[in-house]
Amino acid sequence: MKSQFMFSGIGGQGVISIGELICTAAMKKGYVVTFAPSYGQEKRGGRTMCQMVVSQEMGSPIISEADLLLVMDERSLKDYEKQVKSGGYLIINSNMVEIKPERTDIHVVYVPANDLAQEIGNAKTANMIALGVAMKYLDFVDLDEVKAELKGIFSGSKERLIPINEEALDKGYQLS
Amino acid sequence: MGEKVFMQGNAALSEAAIRAGCKMFFGYPITPSSEMPEYYAEQAPSRDLVFVQAETEVAAFNMIAGAAAAGKRAMTGTAGPGFSLGQEAMSYMAAAALPAVVVNVMRPGPADGEILASQGDYFQATKGGGHGDYNVICLTPYSVQEQVDMIGEAFELAEKYLNPVIVLSDATLAKMRENVELPDEIVTKDISFEGAVTGAKNREHNVITTCGDGPAQWEEFNLKLQEKFQTIRENEQQWESTQTEDAEIVIVAFGSVARVALDTVKLARENGIKVGMIRPKRVWPFPEKAFKDMDDKKFFVVELNAGQMVEDVKLSVKHKENVSFYGRLGGFTPTPIELYEKIRELYL
Amino acid sequence: MQVVYKRPSALQDNYFKYCGGCGHAIINKLIAEIIDEKGWLEDTIMVWPIGCSVYADQYFKTDSICALHGRAPALATGVKRARPENLVVVYQGDGDMVSEGMSEIIHAAIRGEKFSVIFVNNAIYGMTGGQMAPTTLEGQKTSTTPYGKSVANEGAPVNMAELISNITGCIYSERVAVNSPRNIAMTKKAVKKSLEMQMEGKGMSFVEILSPCPTGWGLKPLKSLDFVEDNMMPVYPLGVFKDTEVES
Repeated sequence: MKSQFMFSGIGGQGVISIGELICTAAMKKGYVVTFAPSYGQEKRGGRTMCQMVVSQEMGSPIISEADLLLVMDERSLKDYEKQVKSGGYLIINSNMVEIKPERTDIHVVYVPANDLAQEIGNAKTANMIALGVAMKYLDFVDLDEVKAELKGIFSGSKERLIPINEEALDKGYQLS
Repeated sequence: MGEKVFMQGNAALSEAAIRAGCKMFFGYPITPSSEMPEYYAEQAPSRDLVFVQAETEVAAFNMIAGAAAAGKRAMTGTAGPGFSLGQEAMSYMAAAALPAVVVNVMRPGPADGEILASQGDYFQATKGGGHGDYNVICLTPYSVQEQVDMIGEAFELAEKYLNPVIVLSDATLAKMRENVELPDEIVTKDISFEGAVTGAKNREHNVITTCGDGPAQWEEFNLKLQEKFQTIRENEQQWESTQTEDAEIVIVAFGSVARVALDTVKLARENGIKVGMIRPKRVWPFPEKAFKDMDDKKFFVVELNAGQMVEDVKLSVKHKENVSFYGRLGGFTPTPIELYEKIRELYL
Repeated sequence: MQVVYKRPSALQDNYFKYCGGCGHAIINKLIAEIIDEKGWLEDTIMVWPIGCSVYADQYFKTDSICALHGRAPALATGVKRARPENLVVVYQGDGDMVSEGMSEIIHAAIRGEKFSVIFVNNAIYGMTGGQMAPTTLEGQKTSTTPYGKSVANEGAPVNMAELISNITGCIYSERVAVNSPRNIAMTKKAVKKSLEMQMEGKGMSFVEILSPCPTGWGLKPLKSLDFVEDNMMPVYPLGVFKDTEVES
């Protein structure tokens, strides 16, 4: 088993958080996991991307071709579309991306992550909606195993945010 | 041994350093190394650590020199521009025989440059870096696990040879998270080597100085220093060879590039090309012994710079013309397929 | 026969190699006397600079470490943080401290490092052959200001004792001189107070000592003593600029 995937967006969209979330769940399940983030120089609003490899053995943290790419904004689509493996999956946050992908040899899934997050009452859960969608194709961990790791992100006073994020994950998962 | 965690490279290295008895960290924040000072700062009160945010890297490097001179394990962590500022003190520590540890998370230069991965500080780390004739043992991890394992090893080596040691990391290794097994914490280590300045209690007084006393004395001093470096060259080369026995093409790479190349070796073998890899685990002393009995092989050196380690590879092989180089600059790391295609282009 | 004066036992048997009339020998001896009187030989770690006192480790029986040019306060930060129980004495000249090491001394004071700083100000680079220091007086001729130091080109002299006294982390700052028996006695008192404060675990203390450099100044030793009095003191007035113990 080897799964290589990428999440990309703008700083503040929570791309790194959902990457760490699924990777922690995979690591707990016994996989060998690498999570390689790359940031822009600025803290907020800059480019942010992470490449992840879930496997049985140690290999390159840098991905040649992604089995799945999740883009939360338009620039991410432009930058990384070419890196999706032929026959792979491209998940697009349609609220933030107006252009269409050029590739025809991949599966494209559109999700209005921002609208759906608003619908459930917390705009900041767009990342979890998107992860929920991606989880359908990243089947090395179960949704419940991912949910169990939310406490790592939302600890202390933020613990109250766990239920709404669980709801967002469910909502995304049920969509696809 | 025990605790298995999913941890970031900088944080894991810092935790491992604390567990290795390094209770003192002096540093200046600089991307991509800042999680090291941040980790120490956070842990300091509950674990009785000393953390000082220095005014400059110049000061930070001198502070670890002082702490080491006083017989304690101490380290700093920095990147590119900060590493340059520290070179004055590296030269000092090498001359004064001070066993401190420096982590350099390489980012692309020259000057301010960029903040993603690079290996552009290879020359600086392996050829002295500061003024005068000296060398610094230089460890090159290629996984978060090795970031952890090598920091303990760095202190052991520093104290064995009374010389500073560099852990040469890069932005990818520092920022990435991986499964990692942390070592058990050792009881606080007071290194108090024979010449440490601890107060002249029940012994003759100790003096640490790097000021020469005439050319005759200073040449003798330098010759002794060189003897030490020769011993290190003979005893401390370390590398890992992967499928080199039957290989026609041997990739030579260290750090995160070697991780990428693991996949390239596999990919090449799947496609019937006999590729292997030599991965220096230390780049000073350079593992020239790894290249013994390999006169008929081609060497493909890959680095995140314009060609630095490749010079040492050429010095280590019999036929210089068998060595090719591929480098990326600016912060890019090649992908496994990129390297594979480069191999096809060069050799097929 | 009663011994009323002897070589301090904190000093080795070597003779001082400082030039005739140089203030370093007096200041070295005063520190050694205090270490003797207090019985701190085993506690002391001297941190020496680059400058004329670079070989001072050859005079003392204490542990010594010689820092790089200007870096003594940073090096001493490492030493003192590693061994808070020891007496760490930072000894610097004006070229070392005020030029190369201005950043290190200011920030050591900002952090309130709990060591003693003995700053020897002779308004010139002695060791390297009499070049200008930031402390060189207006009009003073040195090998790099052969026509006299010009404020317009090189800037005005720097008053370190006052400057450091303005930093919260400094608990005591005084300027003294070693150009007369009375001033030497005052110097000893100030240095002793600084060392005592450290052994009581208090913050950073700073003693600036105006000191003659006959060789660098091109003056006879006796004339140098007058130079300290007549030329330096108007610019660098003696006195206590900060003493948190008195204030509180």
